[in-house]
Amino acid sequence: MVKTLIKLEVLKRIRGTSFARSLAIGILMLFIGILLLGYLLLFGLFLNRLVTDVLEKPDAIIFINSNLLYFFLLELIYRYFIQQLPVINLENYLHLPIPKSGIIHSLLACSFLSPLNIVALLIFGPFAYVEVMEVYGFAPAMVWLGAILLTSWSMHWFVLWFKQRFEDSLTGTLVVFSALLVSIGSNYFGLYDLGGFFEPVFTFALENPAPIVLLAIVFILSYFLCFAFYRQNAYLEELAEGEHLQFANQDLGFLSKFGLAGEMANLEWKLIIRHKKSRTYLMLCLFFLLYGLIFYTNPAYRVETGFSYLFIFVGTFITGIFMLQYGQLFLSWNSPTFDFYTHQKNGLRALVRGKYLLFSGISFACFILSVPYVYFGWNVLFIHLATFLFNMGVTIHLVIYLALWKPKPMNLNKGSIFNYEGMGLSQFLMIIPLVAVPYVVFLPMAYWFGDYIGLLALGIIGAFGLLVFPMISTKMADVVVDKKYEISAAFRQEL
Amino acid sequence: MIKIKDLKKIYGSTTVLNIPDLTIPKSQCIGLVGNNGAGKTTLFRIMLDLVRATEGFVSVDEEEVNKGEQWKTKVGAYLDENMLLSYLSPEEYFKALIKIYRLSEEDLQLHLDKFADFFNGEILGSKKYIRDLSKGNIKKVGIAAALLGKPEAVLLDEPFENLDPSSQIRLKKLILKEKEENLVTFLISSHDLNHVTEICERIVLLEKGVIVRDLEDKSSMTEALNNYFNVS
Repeated sequence: MVKTLIKLEVLKRIRGTSFARSLAIGILMLFIGILLLGYLLLFGLFLNRLVTDVLEKPDAIIFINSNLLYFFLLELIYRYFIQQLPVINLENYLHLPIPKSGIIHSLLACSFLSPLNIVALLIFGPFAYVEVMEVYGFAPAMVWLGAILLTSWSMHWFVLWFKQRFEDSLTGTLVVFSALLVSIGSNYFGLYDLGGFFEPVFTFALENPAPIVLLAIVFILSYFLCFAFYRQNAYLEELAEGEHLQFANQDLGFLSKFGLAGEMANLEWKLIIRHKKSRTYLMLCLFFLLYGLIFYTNPAYRVETGFSYLFIFVGTFITGIFMLQYGQLFLSWNSPTFDFYTHQKNGLRALVRGKYLLFSGISFACFILSVPYVYFGWNVLFIHLATFLFNMGVTIHLVIYLALWKPKPMNLNKGSIFNYEGMGLSQFLMIIPLVAVPYVVFLPMAYWFGDYIGLLALGIIGAFGLLVFPMISTKMADVVVDKKYEISAAFRQEL
Repeated sequence: MIKIKDLKKIYGSTTVLNIPDLTIPKSQCIGLVGNNGAGKTTLFRIMLDLVRATEGFVSVDEEEVNKGEQWKTKVGAYLDENMLLSYLSPEEYFKALIKIYRLSEEDLQLHLDKFADFFNGEILGSKKYIRDLSKGNIKKVGIAAALLGKPEAVLLDEPFENLDPSSQIRLKKLILKEKEENLVTFLISSHDLNHVTEICERIVLLEKGVIVRDLEDKSSMTEALNNYFNVS
């Protein structure tokens, strides 16, 4: 049964109208993924030396043990954002005599095959081998590593459950937010030492196999928590009842000043706030606004002259995350109603321009909201301004250009629980090459002429991009109009 | 064989379905009629456990549909395209189904032979995927799939819609034949009063989620329906 399901899923992928796109993204992902995992492995191999030589702590194991909690908090947060939820078209199978639990089990099993689940192994595996085994011997090292892996894997199920259970609700956002605050707070301000408090748990694992048994039970329990929830909710209808209509009815009044394109932007805005997927992206903007707190307060990024080059990356994210994420699925958002736009006079052009308008507007709002970061120095404001200009002048076109290549249809109206395509790891990894673009301009200039000249170059190129903005956006609209038959055929095919 | 008891479906504050009691005996053909939004499709979905009932239950042979899954081998259904794997060709789809139903290739061949006329040579053998077929042909695939695996009951939502006139007549014949030979229970929703009154011996009329008529007398059926729908 599982074999048949997997075979059908593979066929579905291969025969999808946007297979070439998925394949290309897949290969790119594989490459980036292997690279990142390779770095993690290297990090793991040198972890003991990093701790003893660079941080000058006397005992690496005690230090790691007292900081494991932070690792897990961090893991919880990145898992929350990028862990892929299982996706399946339940309608296809629900009426057939396949046991529901069978579908759910195989779905969950598939979700477990994720690169996120070997991160802990890559970092702490080598450490257990070179450091813990030397000191404590083979068996304790394995128990210790096992305890870490089981914690990490329990988190996998926990996040699957948590994301689905509290997704799009205030509770979920608050929990993640407080986890973020706890980890930032204790880490950088040294107000309290939570890590030290939890240190004995993992130290105990070095002396006694009891924790591993306990964690194995937690692992199994968390699996069944997840399973039970998914099994209970394997229905076609929406989980959360009642839309948040009170704010979903709001027009963005100023948009109507922009004519038909403004109307389209208004429609798009409604699309965004009325669907939970797109709402999530909007929510993400707010999260990334706080993202700067991690970097700008961190003493590790403070340098003698100028600023850390990593801040360009932070600035790009803070001012452009919505565009980078939402823009990747440029037309896919409209796939169920694409024919509507084609049918209108000048509809497609207005749609493209409307989207540009919306992206610029939201990016601008993010920029304005990020102004208080000036507290951490004027250079932060300059960085944000330069990256904002660059985002608006250059990156936005790149995102849209890439998105126009064989767009993938997406069904927004299927509100059911397993409908999560286009959310997750690959969406996040795709951002990396896009974020690399500002560095192509910035790095050489900063190297030869200094950091601020680099920023200036970013800003000037961005401003120039803004000057030719109408021209390029018209070009993009032309591309859409040229390809409209191809695109609408692809969108219609996928039932 | 199918029992509906105290069934209610409530969205927000509106009750979209409220059926205190409905029993469908074996080998009966029931027509489900009603205006748009009367709750026909919702009823089908709840009967198939695709949507949760707010109150009450549906049971197939004494098994409540949301408690067990044994009934799924006894009930075939086709409501809409979402039930099909549209990225497969019809043949591949039927082959995938016989694996799920644990039938043999011969069973499938025998089954498809029954549909030879109905398919009109347009379904099998063409290299198209289901998603590329016309609406009518997609429906034909779905109906044939619903009848696969010797179901004891079959639920069809608007089976005559999108079919050409000769296919409609062939479908009626198919349904009557299945009913007589294999004692299959049918539950068919339709807006075509002529078709349903012709093949069904009982008509249930839904209005805003409530059963307003339950007609079992074939002679007066047409008149009662015509009166209700104001067609004369």
